[in-house]
Formats: sequence, structure tokens, C-alpha cells
Amino acid sequence: MKTVIIKEYGDFTIPDTYVLDLTQVTVKDCLGCWTCWWKTPGRCVHKDLDEFYTKYVNADKVIIFSKVTRGFVSGNLKTLFDRSIPHYLPYTTYTTGETMHVPRYERYPDVEVYYQGEFASEEGRKVYEDYICRTFYQFYFKGISVKPINDFCLEEVI
Amino acid sequence: MNTIILNGSPKGTKGNSEIFARQFIKTMKHPCEVKYIAKENPQQLAEFVRNFDAIIIVMPLYVHAMPGIVMKFIEQLRPAKKGQAIGFIIQAGFPETAHERYIENYLRLLAQELNYTYLGTVCKGEAAGTYMKPEFMNKKLFKQLNHLGRIYEQTGAFDKGIKEKFGHPYKLSKFQLIFLQQLEQTGIGKIGWHKFLKANNAYDQRLDRPFL
Ligand SMILES: Cc1cc2nc3c(=O)[nH]c(=O)nc-3n(C[C@H](O)[C@H](O)[C@H](O)COP(=O)(O)O)c2cc1C
Repeated sequence: MKTVIIKEYGDFTIPDTYVLDLTQVTVKDCLGCWTCWWKTPGRCVHKDLDEFYTKYVNADKVIIFSKVTRGFVSGNLKTLFDRSIPHYLPYTTYTTGETMHVPRYERYPDVEVYYQGEFASEEGRKVYEDYICRTFYQFYFKGISVKPINDFCLEEVI
Repeated sequence: MNTIILNGSPKGTKGNSEIFARQFIKTMKHPCEVKYIAKENPQQLAEFVRNFDAIIIVMPLYVHAMPGIVMKFIEQLRPAKKGQAIGFIIQAGFPETAHERYIENYLRLLAQELNYTYLGTVCKGEAAGTYMKPEFMNKKLFKQLNHLGRIYEQTGAFDKGIKEKFGHPYKLSKFQLIFLQQLEQTGIGKIGWHKFLKANNAYDQRLDRPFL
């Protein structure tokens, strides 16, 4: 099983995984230039994520340790989400009853998000969880789970 | 109200948010100042906006929410000074504004948590091509944005009627779905994309999977 970890906190050593450590790495921000759709299809104009992209699109599972920031995903993680756009085609499809982009790759991994941090209200927690589920649904991920870090169980992940 | 407009597009002066912001202030008696999140240091900008009664962020929808650079600004945004207000204008590519409901919910709670008076979030779909269209095709949109801005200047609030019009369609109707599915099946929906790809000599690579 190929697993990719994206982490904003903690020191989880999980064997045989590729780690993108966002406590050390600042992802270059999306420029909105559409190079990834019109000029070099599937490739971002920035090259800082090329190694990560290779691991990501070939993974079975992605685990994200997200630090709740102002009740949302951090700016750095949001930029990483923005920079997933190259993995989809510009074409749109309506078969689900709403607009979605067409996948570029045949399959996408599962995702487990474990978040750390407080919300001002239960509604705030729901907004955060719904946003992440929605995002990965539109990204054609199959298994999607979003849970507080207290629910993380290393044995289950390996 | 002394209002600052923040353009949240990574494309700054070259994007659709710029057009929306400029049209919003165009017919005001005293047009608001506009700053670009893409060009500023988020911490300094967060300090600067404390001098205003109201902040309006005009931005594109990026992956169902604000662009990463806008979240970096929000991370630095301080709790409101007494009576400060905040509002948002979001324009997006997809036609149905149901895609904006997640971020709308978040922005409302954010305003509440930081004690800002919430002016609301105006959402407009089908806006990705605004900068490419000849002026006459944008005429109606611009008039509506002018009106939105003027009413805002007079009342300190977003005009309900325009907000509602921009919000349509919230979901695609059966009829719209059939029409769009037709465009999809016949390949007509792809013609525009192929023009861009061909212009960049990238047509043959359009289905590439470079990271497999
Ligand atoms: C990285 C990225 C992500 C986007 N995500 C969405 C989206 O989730 N939904 C949508 O309707 N449009 C999306 N768009 C389209 C933009 O919202 C649209 O093109 C907008 O007009 C761009 O505004 P700007 O020129 O001011 O940057 C996305 C564009 C980019 C570059």
C-alpha cells in the first residue's frame, strides 16, 4: 500500500510513507495562470511539487494532519488544494446533476484527514468537515474521512 | 463608510476580480481604495485595514473556497475594532452558486468570531470568461455591479435584489442540465478549451498524465 502523508503538526513516524512536511515547506501559491491546462497540460508552472505530485497521484491513501486555522484549513494547505487543479481536465461534466471537472487520471487515492485545533462552535466544526469532504468528493477521491486527531489510531493506518 | 476593497485574486490587476472591483466602485461618488492581497504582506495588510470602517474582499472561488493567499491574509486578520464591518464578493467559473455555499458558511462564522458586522457574501457564477468578453457582452453585469456599488455607498449594505440575481442559478435546473449534457456529449463544450490548447501548441498533450 502506497501512503502519502501531509502534515502540519505532530511527529508521526509511519513506515514506508512519503511525507510532505508543511511545518517545513511553504508551497508556492497558485498564480491562476492556467499553464497547467492550456500550455503544459497536467503540469504546474511551479516545479516545487513535482516529486510530491508523483507520489500523490500514484498513492492508495493520503493522510492529512491538518492544523485548524481560524476555523478553516491553513493558507498553506489551501494553496496545496488549489494546486491540485492540474490533476483534472478543463472539461466539465454534469452527470452528477452539478458541474464537475473531468478527471485527468484513472484513479485517485483515498483520503483521511485528522485535524488538530479548536472551533468556536459545533457549527464551525461542521463547516470545516463539510468543506473538506466536499473538496475531495469533487476531486474524485473514493474513501473520504475527516476526524479529530484524538480518533487517530496508528495501527489502523498501517 | 470608509471602505477598503481587497482584491483577493492571485492575478491581481489582470483578473476578473479586478473587473468586478472596478465596476463596483465605478459610479460611486467617492470610489473606495483598492489593495491587492497578492502584492501585500498579509500581516501589514491586516494592520492597515484596521483604519477602515469596512472591508470588502473581492475574490475568485478557488477549489470551493478562497484562494490560498486570501486564507493567509485571514490568518492575520485581527478582531474587529468597534463597529467594523466585513463583506465578500465572490465570482466563480461554474454557473451554479451552490458551489459557494461552503465558503459562505465559513465567512459568516468568521465575521461572527472576529466580531465584525457581517455585510454578507455576494456570489456570481459563470464569471471565468469575463475578462475575455467584448464590452457589450458584459454590459448587463457591469450595470449590476455599478448599482451594487452605488447602493453600497449610500446605505452601507449589499443590494438584496442584485445579490439574489447574481445568485441564480443556485442549482442547475433540469432544463439547464439537459442542455449542458448535450454540449458535453456533442463535444461542443470542449471547443473553447481546444482553441486555447491549439494556440499554445499543446493540443496533442491535452490528456497527458505527467505524474504517473
Ligand atoms: C486553482 C483554481 C481553482 C478554481 N476553483 C474553482 C471552483 O472550485 N469553482 C469554480 O466555480 N471556479 C473555480 N475556479 C475558477 C475561478 O473562480 C474563475 O476563473 C475566476 O473568474 C477567476 O478570477 P480572477 O481572474 O480574478 O482570478 C478556479 C480557478 C483556479 C485557478
